[in-house]
Amino acid sequence: MDKKVENIKYNISEALELPKDIVLDLPKITIIGNIQINILNHKGIIEYSQEILRVNSNIGVIKITGNDLKLKTILSEEIIVNGIIDKIELIS
Amino acid sequence: MGVVKAWNFFKGYVIIKVKGLTLERFLNLAATNDIYLWDIRRIDYTELEMKATIEGFRALKEIVNKVGCRVEIVEKKGLPFLLYRIKNRKALGIGFILFFIIIIFLSSIIWDIDIVGNEKVKNEDILKFLETEGIKSGIIKYKVDKDYIEYLLLNKFENFSFVSVEIKGTKLIIELKEIELLNEEIDENTPSHIIAAKKGVIEKVIARNGKAVVRKGDIVEKDDILISGIISNEGSEGFMLVHADGEVWAKTLYSYKIEEPIIKTVKEETGRIFERKEIKIGDRGIQFIKGDIPFDDYVESTEEVNILNLNINFPIKILVHKYKEVETKEIEQDVDLVKEKNHIKAVEELNKQIPQKADIISKDVKHFVKDNIVTTYVAIEVIEDISKKRPIN
Repeated sequence: MDKKVENIKYNISEALELPKDIVLDLPKITIIGNIQINILNHKGIIEYSQEILRVNSNIGVIKITGNDLKLKTILSEEIIVNGIIDKIELIS
Repeated sequence: MGVVKAWNFFKGYVIIKVKGLTLERFLNLAATNDIYLWDIRRIDYTELEMKATIEGFRALKEIVNKVGCRVEIVEKKGLPFLLYRIKNRKALGIGFILFFIIIIFLSSIIWDIDIVGNEKVKNEDILKFLETEGIKSGIIKYKVDKDYIEYLLLNKFENFSFVSVEIKGTKLIIELKEIELLNEEIDENTPSHIIAAKKGVIEKVIARNGKAVVRKGDIVEKDDILISGIISNEGSEGFMLVHADGEVWAKTLYSYKIEEPIIKTVKEETGRIFERKEIKIGDRGIQFIKGDIPFDDYVESTEEVNILNLNINFPIKILVHKYKEVETKEIEQDVDLVKEKNHIKAVEELNKQIPQKADIISKDVKHFVKDNIVTTYVAIEVIEDISKKRPIN
């Protein structure tokens, strides 16, 4: 049932050219060089240390590895991470 | 980003340390409760450092109880805390405010009145007149009505053709232009004499009205009466006053003297330059001196460096003083050439003085050479109208 609804949503967004992150409630990850990552539409932090940041989202866990990771802002919709980023993994 | 920082400073914020085990949960709860936290940094396994607004910090208490961690304030920053500290140091706060008030007050007072462009009317007369109208140094500049001052001055002094009043900082600058009132227009009904405007030998007198008192060949001094406006009746004691009118042509002399040394000292640049920089803020300057000028004879020139390539009068300027070394050389000039040069220069000068209507009769040029100096004396004789009207009082 859920899959069907998702499929309809996908088709609608495709047909009307609506942004998928909003229609499908998916996270939007923006990365600026290797110094900043912007995660929109997250579902909470699972783990945070200077080397590893794990953020929950609809598609699974977003794992960011790096050095000197700092959370510039945390809002209910958005996380901005500063630091030197080595790796981004999507674990679903 | 600077705007956000300024806003945060203005609103005030705290840097806090959170100690506990489930710090991620703490962050998630803060985010879902719309508590704004920023610059979060992991210090070690059980410690986080972050910044929070004052309201945010108060709202955190609830979460802290839920999560079971400890919060301590590391530093309070921003304007509200600064003000709170100043509250306890009243003298400092008062001094600070007083400082601004005094500066604003002092800079809103006219301290100086500058008058530019007057030749005949004395500065003191204008200042005295302005003082009677309540405009003197010490008044508040916002109360000065520039248009009114212009109007007053133009009305009071008839020979001002243009007055502009400007306030620059604490200075009131009055710029004016005077008209020449040489031939004052005298009403045709007022009795008047015609007098000599300058010294000369009378050549021709045409009296249209009044009685000519000089004849051809008379030598007159300046202000001598040429055509009298007083006509006495023969046979009776009484006299009549008329408005004298006419032309008096006279020979007058214009002369000019020029001295020019034969051996001339000329300064020649050697090409060595010494530079000094200066920063100018307004009228004040700071010179950066690196040693004395290493030349005996030098010519100074100043250049301005444009900091911003803008066409505005920026108050901060960088000036470069260039000292160019010069060598003095003596040059001996040809005597005839000097004479010729002097002659041309003198005639040019005289041409400026002689009125256009005058007829030139003769020119006399004399050169004297004495002690290395050539003196040239040029005299031009002209015939011109020297009449000038003056009312009889």
